[in-house]
Parts: sequence; C-alpha cells; structure tokens
Amino acid sequence: MTFSMQRMYAIFVKDLKELSKNTFVLTTIIMPVVLALFFGRGDAVPLEVHFLVFNTAFAAVAAYIQSVAIAEEKEKNTLRGLMMSPATTVEILTGKSIVSMGMTVLTIVLCIRLLGFETANWLLVGAGMAVSLVLFTAIGTLIGLLTRTLMEASVVITPFIFILGMGTIFAEMLQGNVILTVAEYLPNFQLEYLAAAVESGAATGEIAGHFALLLGWTAAVIAATALVYRKREMGSE
Amino acid sequence: MNESIRVEGLEKVFGNERAIDDITFSVGRGEIFGFLGPSGAGKTTTIKILTGQLRATGGKAEVLGIPAEKVNTPDVLGRIGVMTDTSGLYERLTVYENLAFYADLYGVSNKRKRIGDVLDAVNLGGEEKKKVSSLSKGMMQRTILARALLHEPELVFLDEPTGALDPVNAKHIHEGLKELNRNGTTIFLTTHNMQEAELLCDRVAFLNGGQVRLMDNPSVLRRQFADGTIVVELVSGKQVSLPNRPESARKLHDYMAAGQVASIQTNEPTLGDIFVDVTGRELA
Repeated sequence: MTFSMQRMYAIFVKDLKELSKNTFVLTTIIMPVVLALFFGRGDAVPLEVHFLVFNTAFAAVAAYIQSVAIAEEKEKNTLRGLMMSPATTVEILTGKSIVSMGMTVLTIVLCIRLLGFETANWLLVGAGMAVSLVLFTAIGTLIGLLTRTLMEASVVITPFIFILGMGTIFAEMLQGNVILTVAEYLPNFQLEYLAAAVESGAATGEIAGHFALLLGWTAAVIAATALVYRKREMGSE
Repeated sequence: MNESIRVEGLEKVFGNERAIDDITFSVGRGEIFGFLGPSGAGKTTTIKILTGQLRATGGKAEVLGIPAEKVNTPDVLGRIGVMTDTSGLYERLTVYENLAFYADLYGVSNKRKRIGDVLDAVNLGGEEKKKVSSLSKGMMQRTILARALLHEPELVFLDEPTGALDPVNAKHIHEGLKELNRNGTTIFLTTHNMQEAELLCDRVAFLNGGQVRLMDNPSVLRRQFADGTIVVELVSGKQVSLPNRPESARKLHDYMAAGQVASIQTNEPTLGDIFVDVTGRELA
C-alpha cells in the first residue's frame, strides 16, 4: 500500500480552506469555547465541569468536523472525484482527520486556558485525552460514512454531542439509577473518572481500567468504521 | 499493447435489472471512441465499471492492460482522467484552488502554467479567481473537464462532456479534445449528441438496453445504411430523387445538359437516423 505525504497534505490544506469558509461549521465548534468562557468565570471550577467542556469539545469539534467533512463530500459529489484520483482512502481520511484533530487540539488548549485547568499528572490525563481525540474522530468518520449530507450529519451527531459530550452533567440527577450504571461505561465518563483517579492518587490498576475501556471504545468504533467503509465500497453507491 | 480498453462479454445486473448485457468491444490507443445511447442504455454503468467504481457481475474488462477491478490504485488512476455526470467541485473554493488541489493530488509539475493551459483549452482563461459557487452550469462543466485533463492522462473517460454547454463553448471543448487526441490521448466518450459523435469519433458503438447493437466508423456506418439515392434540386426549385440505378445516371446527365441542376445531395442517413433504424428508439 502506498502513502503519499504530498497527497495527504493537499487534502489537509483543501479541507482547512473549505472549513475556514464554512460559517455553519464554525458556529458549532465555538460551543465548547463559549462553555469554557462561561464556567471559567467561577473561582473553583470542579473537575466534572472541566471534563464536561473537554468532552463537548471532542464531540462538537473532532466528531462534528470529521462527520460533516465526509458527508459534504458525498453531498456535493466531490468524494467520487477524490476516489477517482490517485489519493488513497487512508490519505483522504488522514488528511481530513488531521484537520479535525488539529482544530480540536486548538479548542482544548484554549478551553484549558480559559478554565485554568491543572492536573497532577499531565502525561496520564493527556494520554487519556489523546485516546478520546482518536475515538471521537473515528465516531465522526463513522457518522460521515453513514450520512449523505451536511445537514443529515449535523442532525445525527446532535445526540452524540449531548450524550458523549455533555452527558456527565446529568450524573448527579441520575444517582442510584440503572441508566447511570450503564452510562458510566461511556467514554466521556471514563475520561472524567480517569482524571479524577489521577487527582486522587488512585492505584495504577484503577487508572489502567479506565484507559482500557477508552481504548476498547476506540478499537470498537474504528472496527465499525472499517466495516461500514468496506460495505460502502463494495456497494459503490 | 495497442488497446487502451478491452471488454469481453461484460455484464452488470442490479437486482432483476440487466443494466449491461454481454457487451464486447475494444478501444485502440489514440482512438476517440463514442459510446452512444439514450438515457438508461448502460453508458454510465460501463464507465463506472471501467474506472473501478463498480464491479461487473460477469465478463472481463481491462483498462490500460489492467483488469478493471484493479484500476483503483494510485499508479493507474494517475494515468486516466474521468469526467462523469456526477463529478462535483468544491463550491467554497475558486476555480484555481480546485484545480491546484487536483494538481497536487496528481503531482503535476509546473502547476500554475498547466492550470492556465487547461483553462485556456476549455475557454475559461481569466476565470481562475472566480468562486465555483458563482459559476454557471456550463462553466462548472468546463472546470470539471479541465480537472480531468489536468494531468495529461493517457486515457480519458468523458460522460456527456458538452451536455450543458452552448454551441460556442461546445465547439471550444471539441477543439480541445481533438488537440488532446492529437497528442496521443485515448478518449472514451459517451454522448447522445450525434453531431458531436460524428465530429469527434473514430468509431462509435450504439448501446441500447445494455447491449451493443452496432459498432463501426461513423462514415462507414453512414455508407452502409445509405440507400444510394441522390437528391437533385432543380433551378425551378423542384426536388428529384434518383435511386442508384443506370437510368438515374441518364436522367442526371439530361438535367445537367439542360442546365437545370441547382444542387446535388447524397441521401446518407445521420447517425441518429441509423440509431433509430437499428434500435427503434430515439436518442434524446
């Protein structure tokens, strides 16, 4: 299999140019920054709120940008031209993912500054965030493959933004409810629990458990994305 | 290898519908080959199979000596150009940005000059700074064509390349395609514009109901289907049809000797007439 940095870079630059002119997308991705501005004005921002903002950034920036970038290529019939060029699927998805991930990293860094977030172990928390970044980008890719238009992708991703982005905010309301027991396995809860475990100096085993669940989610979504892609390729819609 | 495309017994079935039914043809290197037929005849399906976008359900197809199902590799895709009816452009970007993006994907050297050249060839010189969203349908079609030709492919697939164009721009495209062909590019063209096919194609195939009904050089087909009748228009305005028989020669001689002949025309059918004759269907 060949991989061309030049082609991947061309896709990255093209997507960045397109994105910078897409006001519809830009208005959605400022959502976590607005949340960070709002919550960052408080004196002591709790960990749950920090991770509510970070998870919202993963869902509303990484997953959202990735999904609409792919869905819009299908809507405007540009994906066909791209697939008929020498660019491989890996180059196309990598180029697009770098844009989504890059925008997310910038948003997260901005949110960290606005919220004044600090942690006892940047390496562990950073690693958890990096896994989440890959996971949410893969979720965006999957939604992009399953939807046909920018609008459809925007509608489909909305529940993901609420559940996987802002879902942890409802934890207090759901105390003792079976829904919470299940929801606690979701990646946004796991990232927050991982950070909480790091802050409380929990045992390595507990931290590793949260990591393993995050990695498991990531592997499952990547596998589902590959499966859907193959099916779409064979079907050649 | 003297063939750019070789197709043998190709079939494509969608559910219960047989879109392509046992078609066989080949396209020589440097040839302009016209694939003619009405909507739904199987033209676009054939292009999709030949460009690796669809899998055939039967038969064999080779493009540039490579099985069609293996065309989807960067090396092969870099040697072919495709313009289909569903090709799209990035509407938020300019004409130049769209072409520059593809020039980078194809590794085109001297990008700026090459983009200028292809835009001139499709009569879009000076329009490179225009946003695609502000272009007319015809200009978009010409931009897509420019994109297909950007990397100077060995073989181009053009699906109705002048469908949305006015006669002036269609003429420009025809000249551009002839020039491209003179430089050695093989052109596989689908159209239902018979004049375009007569003007450009070295050979044409009539496709109807997923089958090739007839295939040859347009002039040969016209002669083959001509009934040999000539139509003489007399100075008086009267038209006389003379069938291909010895007594017609005498009549023609008499008209000429008497100075009564205003014009003489052969009664050759157009490709459109032949298509209707062979398939019983109109092309449009």
